[in-house]
Amino acid sequence: MDAELFAILAAWSVATLRSATPLIFATLGETLTQRVGVINLGIEGEMLMGACVGFAVGVATNNPWLGLMAGAFAGALLSLVYAFLVLVTHANQIGSGLAVWMIALGTTSYFGRALVGQQVTPLPNLGSDWMDDIPFLGVLFDQMTMAVPLAIAAVLFAAWWLANTRPGMQWRAVGESAVVAAENGIRPRLVRLHAIVVGGLLAGFGGAILSVDYTQTWAQEMTKGRGLIAVGLVIVARWKPILVLPICLVFGLAEVATLRVQSAGFAVSPHLLAAVPYLVVLLILIVSHIMPRRDTGMPADLKSVFA
Amino acid sequence: MSRSAFTTGLVTALAFAVLILVFFALLGKPPFVMVSNLVIYAVGDTYSISQTFAKTTPILLCALAAAVPGRLGLISVGAEGQLYAGAIAGTGAVLLAPALPAVLLVPFMLASAALGGAAYGCVPGLLRARLQINETITTLVLNYVSVLLVNALVFGPWKDPESQGWPATAFFPQEAILPSLPGTRIHLGLLLAIVFAIGLHAFFTRGPSSQKIRILAGNRKVGEMFGLNFGFWVVAMMSLGGAIAGIAGIAEVSAIQGRLQPNISLGYGLTGFLVAWLSRHQPLVIVPVAFLVGGLVAASDALQLFAKVPASSAVILQGLLFATALAVPGLMKQMRLGFGR
Amino acid sequence: MSGPVVEFKAATKRFGATVAVDTATLDIRSGEVLAVLGENGAGKSTLMKMLYGIHPPSEGHILIDGKPSAVQGPADAMRNGIGMVFQHFSQFPALSVRDNLLLAWPKTPFWTGRRNAGIAPALATLAELAPHIDPDVRVADLSVGEQQLVELSKVLNISARIVIFDEPTSVLTPAEAHNLHGFIRRLADDGMAVILITHKLADVTACADRIAVMRRGAIVDVSASGEKPISSIVSLMMGKEIKRTLTAPKPIKQRVEQLFLNNVCAKAPGMELRNISLRIAKGEVLGIAGVAGNGQSLLADVIAGLHPITSGDVVLEGQSIARRDVRQTLATPLGYIPEQPRENAVVEDMTLLRNLNLRALAAGSRVDDEALDLLSRFNVNPPEPGRLAGSLSGGNLQKLVSARELGTPRSGVLACYPTMGLDLAAIEMVYQELFAQAEAGAAVIWISEDLDDLMLAAHRIAILREGEVVAVKDNDGTLSRDEIGALMTGLRIDEVAA
Repeated sequence: MDAELFAILAAWSVATLRSATPLIFATLGETLTQRVGVINLGIEGEMLMGACVGFAVGVATNNPWLGLMAGAFAGALLSLVYAFLVLVTHANQIGSGLAVWMIALGTTSYFGRALVGQQVTPLPNLGSDWMDDIPFLGVLFDQMTMAVPLAIAAVLFAAWWLANTRPGMQWRAVGESAVVAAENGIRPRLVRLHAIVVGGLLAGFGGAILSVDYTQTWAQEMTKGRGLIAVGLVIVARWKPILVLPICLVFGLAEVATLRVQSAGFAVSPHLLAAVPYLVVLLILIVSHIMPRRDTGMPADLKSVFA
Repeated sequence: MSRSAFTTGLVTALAFAVLILVFFALLGKPPFVMVSNLVIYAVGDTYSISQTFAKTTPILLCALAAAVPGRLGLISVGAEGQLYAGAIAGTGAVLLAPALPAVLLVPFMLASAALGGAAYGCVPGLLRARLQINETITTLVLNYVSVLLVNALVFGPWKDPESQGWPATAFFPQEAILPSLPGTRIHLGLLLAIVFAIGLHAFFTRGPSSQKIRILAGNRKVGEMFGLNFGFWVVAMMSLGGAIAGIAGIAEVSAIQGRLQPNISLGYGLTGFLVAWLSRHQPLVIVPVAFLVGGLVAASDALQLFAKVPASSAVILQGLLFATALAVPGLMKQMRLGFGR
Repeated sequence: MSGPVVEFKAATKRFGATVAVDTATLDIRSGEVLAVLGENGAGKSTLMKMLYGIHPPSEGHILIDGKPSAVQGPADAMRNGIGMVFQHFSQFPALSVRDNLLLAWPKTPFWTGRRNAGIAPALATLAELAPHIDPDVRVADLSVGEQQLVELSKVLNISARIVIFDEPTSVLTPAEAHNLHGFIRRLADDGMAVILITHKLADVTACADRIAVMRRGAIVDVSASGEKPISSIVSLMMGKEIKRTLTAPKPIKQRVEQLFLNNVCAKAPGMELRNISLRIAKGEVLGIAGVAGNGQSLLADVIAGLHPITSGDVVLEGQSIARRDVRQTLATPLGYIPEQPRENAVVEDMTLLRNLNLRALAAGSRVDDEALDLLSRFNVNPPEPGRLAGSLSGGNLQKLVSARELGTPRSGVLACYPTMGLDLAAIEMVYQELFAQAEAGAAVIWISEDLDDLMLAAHRIAILREGEVVAVKDNDGTLSRDEIGALMTGLRIDEVAA
């Protein structure tokens, strides 16, 4: 009986982790971008671009790893457009993000039509024969790819990087005040460029994981607002990389729960169920704003953008 | 319009024209032929003009829906979701009382749609007013919800049993169809949109509340010092914007589709947001800009049919237009400063 | 004696059409304190920001050690041994003291983990200068004086040989300022070149070797300290002889209490007001003194009905004017001059005329053209009613707000730092209008950081410390600066003097 319970638990855990993984990368990228005082809604477009290019390269080369890397590269490339608008022309950040999103939306549905219905080689599972007998972990690893541990490692690394390196410290400083950072001999525009590109890299990678690893298909507009959700979750995570992990897992759990309810044959409209994750995001956004707190953790330079 | 605004507009238009040419050249199509095709398919004959106006209507309404909260300094990107909410509420009214005569049914349907859209816009407004939750994020997330809600209804309880596999409600009775110019797709919605634009212009420039909104948009703290309630105006403007987008939704359903089905909007909400931004939230500027962008959307539909260029090129072009409009003022300012040095 | 370390050669700085610094020629020598004296907006800070690389000169040049300066930005300046203590410290309040020190330190290693021995030297100076400051505390949690010590350690950390202080005493209590003067003296005695930007004569007399006087962007005089009498230095600074003719408002004959604060409590992030009770009579000017950041702005927002109270009441002429709930707003009947007018008191993209009429506009009524006279009465420059408020300088915005709030008779007035950023003539004018309100029967609350002005003109002085009114003193001529200073800091008088 215990074994059965373990198996169910493991199945849910692994499904939640896998569903949350693309979002973890995107949210982590957006957290880092916002830590330097820049809010990038274009992350939705960067994710989409990463999903599209990653899938295309994965299909073409038969190598999922190359696909993931190409996706990350595409996301970073698109983030340069955003960086140009915001850092060079000093355009409004929200507007620039939406413009980048529109460009990606159009481009991916233009070029992505050829990808519909294609097959991609998936990432190998982590499980191996000797593990199968271990309760819980056996099932867990059997259905998990390298993407999940990578996401966890990325979060831990980013948290540690921000706290314990000179560049990390400079990123935090620029987010607090670009003016004061400049007075201290830091070049805020360069720092922001770095963070925007890293954000794009992570978002593109997350998008590629979505298409290459998680759904293993390409569909038009397949990110379905995950990038926008990431922007909201950054607030819930209070701009702390380490909190990105549990909060994205809540979203993942919501998504898995709706899928399970559906496959269990309950007479609920699948479309209504599909709306649940969005409502869950709104709900945790509301809860996090109701909770009393002295310090929001918001980088001070964001306040002007983010009234 | 001031001289510098005029120059900025001119340079933006020129830069965008160059980008369009580069874009088609990159796609391997003859750029000048494609651009002239765009113009022909947008306004070349009565059919094209009818198509352009059909696209202009929802874009214009969604742009007004974004401009209303924009006047208060809010960035609401929720017109898409509010459009779907309006479509649901309006369709609900028609399903509820299909036997009413047109004089009653059309107003009832429009009012319900406006209410539905307003309610859907009110939610992010309340969240902003009470909890300081950023309205841009909530409106964007809510967009996905009402689209799914429409799907749930037309695949489920509202599905017309006679439509076989097709997810849609039954066709609206003739009394619930918005009147249109004979032989065209230009319908009452366009007239309503223009009336709204004029009304909003008066409201925001001459109305008794116009200065209150300007004060709050310019400096919220000063407004509160003199007794203005920011929260009230946030909810009011978000709801008003939602109501206008709701009308856009039911107009599409009633006049264009004839019944509620998925995908009633082809991203009109986001396009409308772009138009509102380009027009700096000025209702009377929005009207011609919506027409131009509507022409672009209609023409790229035609391009897909006749030149095998996917219609998504319109989305890319809109994105490029947005990026150009964002980049040009800043670049011009820097150049001016550069020369002055 | 060796040559000067820094020479300004006809250096000019333009911002658009305005000339902030006009062909300035000046030399700076090691081992001396050079005071750069001038009024607000005279160009003192801009002159030194040219040297520090924030605003490179538009024309002319700067020599360092006889060679043309290659300083392109603050980072270069630090590398060249130039350090600057900014007026509003160049610190990150949300970050720890440790991070703040490391950020400004040129030798910060890549890994800044706690166990890395390479970061120890960055903390050493602070440990020497102020051993009581815990480097893991956030800068926001330090007092202003402590923040200045952190700022100083940053400058010493870059082994600066040229140190610029920008208005360092404006945020300090008298005792802290005294300590700082001694510290500045020691730096110069150790061989550094010290530049002290200030508008306070007390700073000059306390520690300067030479005095450069600036007026309207130009250096009008350089002389050794003591060479010229103070009065002639003042007239050089002002351009014309203006005597401080601050006439105190008339004493109150009979107390008719008009404005009441009854046990007011309020909360804001990082600040809490506790049980504040004050009674201000008709015709009375009540001054509020305190070190910046002890609850002044929250108190002002509470009295003006902007920030909700948690308990208590604010009553003007029998009517409650406190805000109790964020959902409800009320138009304050007080004439209210908030601090920082650009952020808190005007709508920048509206015209001057509309800004003068904000009360009427917010109530939905029409603009009153008679308000135009106010522009000339309050010397708002330029007096063009159709101009956008955002295009005005800070000082003129302050005058614009004073015109709106003091231009018509009121039963209560609340003025927060009403003379911030004004020149002497304008300060006189604003004080006259403020006190005229009192003489016409208003109850006036006047929050100021200038103890001298308060002691010259207020009927009573309340001292605010950590969100509480710790004392209300009658200003009957027997008050001493040290006594008020002690109340402001919470130290005993003998501790202050030490």
